[in-house]
Amino acid sequence: MKPIVEIRNLSKVYNQGEIQVTALDNIHLDIECSDFLTLMGPSGSGKSTLLHIIAGIDHQSSGSCKVQDLDLSALSESALADWRNQNVGFIFQSFNLIPVLTGFENVELPLLLTRLSKKERKRLVDTALELVGLEDRSHHLPKQLSGGQEQRVAIARALVTDPALVVADEPTGNLDAESAQQVLEILQSLSNDAGKTVIMVTHDPKAAAFGKRSIHLEKGRFEKEDVRAS
Amino acid sequence: MLPVKYNVGNVVLRWRSTLATILGISMVVAVYVMVQALAVGLQTSSANTGDPRNLLIVRKGSQSESSSVVNLEQYRSLRYSEWIMRNEQDQPMISTDVLTLVNLPRLNDQGEANTMVRGVGAQGRVLRSQVKLVEGRWFTPGKREVVVSQRLAARFENFGVGDRFKTGPDWLTVVGWFDGGNSAFDSEIWADADEVRALFDRDSFSSLLIRPAGDQGRAALVKQIEEDKRLQLLVKNEVDYYKEQTMTATPIMWMGNFLATAMSLGAILAAMNTMYATVGARTREIGTLRVLGFRRRTIVLGLLIEGILLCAIGGVLGCMLALPLNGYATGTIGFESFSETVFEFTITPTLAMQGIVFSALIGLFGTLIPAIKASRTPVIDALKSL
Amino acid sequence: MTTASFILRNTLRNKRRAMLSALSVAVSLFLFITLQVTLRELTIPPEDIGASLRIAVRNKVSLAQPLPFRQLQKIEKIPGVEAVTPFTYFGGLYRDEAFTPFAQFAVDPIRFTNVFLEAKTSKVQMQAWIKDRGTCLVGVDTMKRYDLKVGEKMLLSGTFYPVDLDMKIVGTYEGTLDDRNVFFHHKYLDELTDDPGTVGTWWLRAGSAEVAPKVVSTLNETFANTSAEVRAESERAFQMGFVSMWGNIKMLIDSICTAIVFTLLLVTVSTMSMAIRERFRELAILKAIGYRRHELLAFILAESLFLSLLGALIGAGGAAWLFSVVDIQKLSGGMFIFFEVTTKMLGTAFLISIVLGVLAGIAPGWSVCRMSVVDGLKTLD
Repeated sequence: MKPIVEIRNLSKVYNQGEIQVTALDNIHLDIECSDFLTLMGPSGSGKSTLLHIIAGIDHQSSGSCKVQDLDLSALSESALADWRNQNVGFIFQSFNLIPVLTGFENVELPLLLTRLSKKERKRLVDTALELVGLEDRSHHLPKQLSGGQEQRVAIARALVTDPALVVADEPTGNLDAESAQQVLEILQSLSNDAGKTVIMVTHDPKAAAFGKRSIHLEKGRFEKEDVRAS
Repeated sequence: MLPVKYNVGNVVLRWRSTLATILGISMVVAVYVMVQALAVGLQTSSANTGDPRNLLIVRKGSQSESSSVVNLEQYRSLRYSEWIMRNEQDQPMISTDVLTLVNLPRLNDQGEANTMVRGVGAQGRVLRSQVKLVEGRWFTPGKREVVVSQRLAARFENFGVGDRFKTGPDWLTVVGWFDGGNSAFDSEIWADADEVRALFDRDSFSSLLIRPAGDQGRAALVKQIEEDKRLQLLVKNEVDYYKEQTMTATPIMWMGNFLATAMSLGAILAAMNTMYATVGARTREIGTLRVLGFRRRTIVLGLLIEGILLCAIGGVLGCMLALPLNGYATGTIGFESFSETVFEFTITPTLAMQGIVFSALIGLFGTLIPAIKASRTPVIDALKSL
Repeated sequence: MTTASFILRNTLRNKRRAMLSALSVAVSLFLFITLQVTLRELTIPPEDIGASLRIAVRNKVSLAQPLPFRQLQKIEKIPGVEAVTPFTYFGGLYRDEAFTPFAQFAVDPIRFTNVFLEAKTSKVQMQAWIKDRGTCLVGVDTMKRYDLKVGEKMLLSGTFYPVDLDMKIVGTYEGTLDDRNVFFHHKYLDELTDDPGTVGTWWLRAGSAEVAPKVVSTLNETFANTSAEVRAESERAFQMGFVSMWGNIKMLIDSICTAIVFTLLLVTVSTMSMAIRERFRELAILKAIGYRRHELLAFILAESLFLSLLGALIGAGGAAWLFSVVDIQKLSGGMFIFFEVTTKMLGTAFLISIVLGVLAGIAPGWSVCRMSVVDGLKTLD
């Protein structure tokens, strides 16, 4: 089967004042479906930048990045927004839930951009919340939830449109050990059982161990690759 | 497309930090409404004056009734005109009025002011049916008696029924109060025309008030007077004449609008400042929404709604603050009449609506730029912000 | 880097907010000054140089009622009266204007110059005026406004006098507080109106400031119980009489000013607080480094004072500059003449901005002082 993500000769350069910084240098990468890929490296290595480009929230300077055989850089801003809505689920280090909305409403947010009826939306939200084990806390506001619970709501939100791709940027960075474990197990099952492609940025080797494949970046280049037997 | 709860919820959530902006806007709107209420009050009473059937005649070139002079000759040339309606006693319905100013003290040591004394001709009261006696009785011709407007009585010394006041060497007795029906007459003292002429040594009149015989009569009279160059008289519908005496209200409206503009400028700057700060605190949140797929313009629209909503709340509050002033009666010097003009602060529903729209506009302009800027921040920068 | 430059850089770190804050203070203070100037213009007529010696005499009934000419004989006999002139307001319209921004008065020329000593005219022009009954003197401001020259005609149509004036301008005057007026012969007016034997008012000059009050009371007594009782009062009192006719305008304007200042306070305090709250963490670090509480408070106050004073400079200073260069008289059609920004007003404006700055800084400053370093560092900005 064709890789879900195909990256060829990808480079990203940006200006920091008068200096030109090379974030990514001629990257070549294929990601298979249902893979659980971790991107590791020191700060400034370009791992987050790569993640952002794959997820369609940043553009490369040169080279190509195709997701599901679609050249992202050819899409307009609005088309890209629509594409993200349907095809990518985001999980952030700092959860990024909307404080004034309840857990249910936060998860429902991406569905408001679709044409689904209220009933259909409810069904999908309930399913997502069940998946992360938070169906009974759905009416709570983020400030009434623990860090781990918040992140799980965020995962539910990332899953609610049933995207093929799930990207996570240091998802366990603000969590205690137990919650971190929970979250990583969920991500694993997404890849193993639900057939989703998970790409995670982390600097924690223990977290990386949950993945199937691990890539190290340094100064914008691949340094090392580990492949674990799944 | 953003859930209503999101925008409303945010407005409610940050009420504390935006309370100052809301209060600030409420003050701006309150001041605007109050000053305009002054102008509206002044305009209302002058617009409300006169009987649409009557014609008022003054000297050509005079700026107000009190500075006009119509002499006996001019009166005689018109008096028996066939175009004037006659009453049951077959007398022409024409009133010869004499206007003059008398300087009198206000109540409670509020200084002195000129008051307008109108000596009405025999037909004067009949032609002005909007003026009604509310207390006491009408003056007796031949006696030094006057009837004052109820509104004036509330503001000046010695205007109680039965009281006497002095003008020069003469004493006048107040024998009654009238209600002018919220018109310019509410700023007047009425007496018998001949009595006034004797008292103030006038051998001419100030104006003539005529009830023409039907529309035909009106057209003919107007034609006759306008075409007679010797007469040098100006003829107008009574209602139109008073409506055009707006020079007192105009500068006040001007001031109201100037104040409104200046204050709204300040309010817009303040709203902008608040909005920038609020939006700044929500950069990451806005970035998340964009990551999830919400369009830029959806986000801008949502922020605009928040800003407008917030400011509109301030507007409503401002109207409520101004409301107690509605109906408050006071007086000031009228520009054309050079005498005390009483009026009430009048807050109409239109005015209140204007105040709220005004506040919404402040919200719109104060939020627009910060909102657009917030939505333009590249998504990654937004996500990275602390 | 000095402490001062550190404070300055902090204030300007968010240039947009700093500018917006300063500007909203500026707009409000501009408005405040404008309102105060308007109030002053309307309520306090400026003090003329000969004013304390001059006395105005009108009919007790009202200004609209004339006085009999025969009163002149009695007035001249009153001790302390140095000079007296008839002074009748004509109120004519000029050149089809709906509103004529200058007044015209019928006077006795020789007597007039003895009462209004500060009016300056060349001897030649004065002689020409006195000699010819059909001539007039026009104030230099009006000459300028309508681009008139000596020798041209001055045509006026009467409003409450049913006559029109046709006169020749033979001279100008200046040096008084109101250099706009037209002065002409009372005898000319009498001719046109079939000599009713009346004047509008009398204006006198008393011998000294000490005798003036006595002159006033004597005048009032002299004509008491005659057919034309008078109200004699000093020029100042006469002017203030007009002011009192305005009624509650002063109160209205003062209330608006209060509302503006209050609103200003609210907004500035709120903005400053927002700015400080954003920097709690940073301030906590300063505390950790060793800065004392009162030093931090000083930083905050300095910042808020800088912004509010800047606003005062732009707003109040701007208003003062604007009104000194713009011809307000022209713009307002003669309604406002001087529109002067006094030092007192500027002082008040700056005082307000200082109070504003202090109050705006105190509230957030207080919470900064009370916060513990640990809490501050924990604050996610």
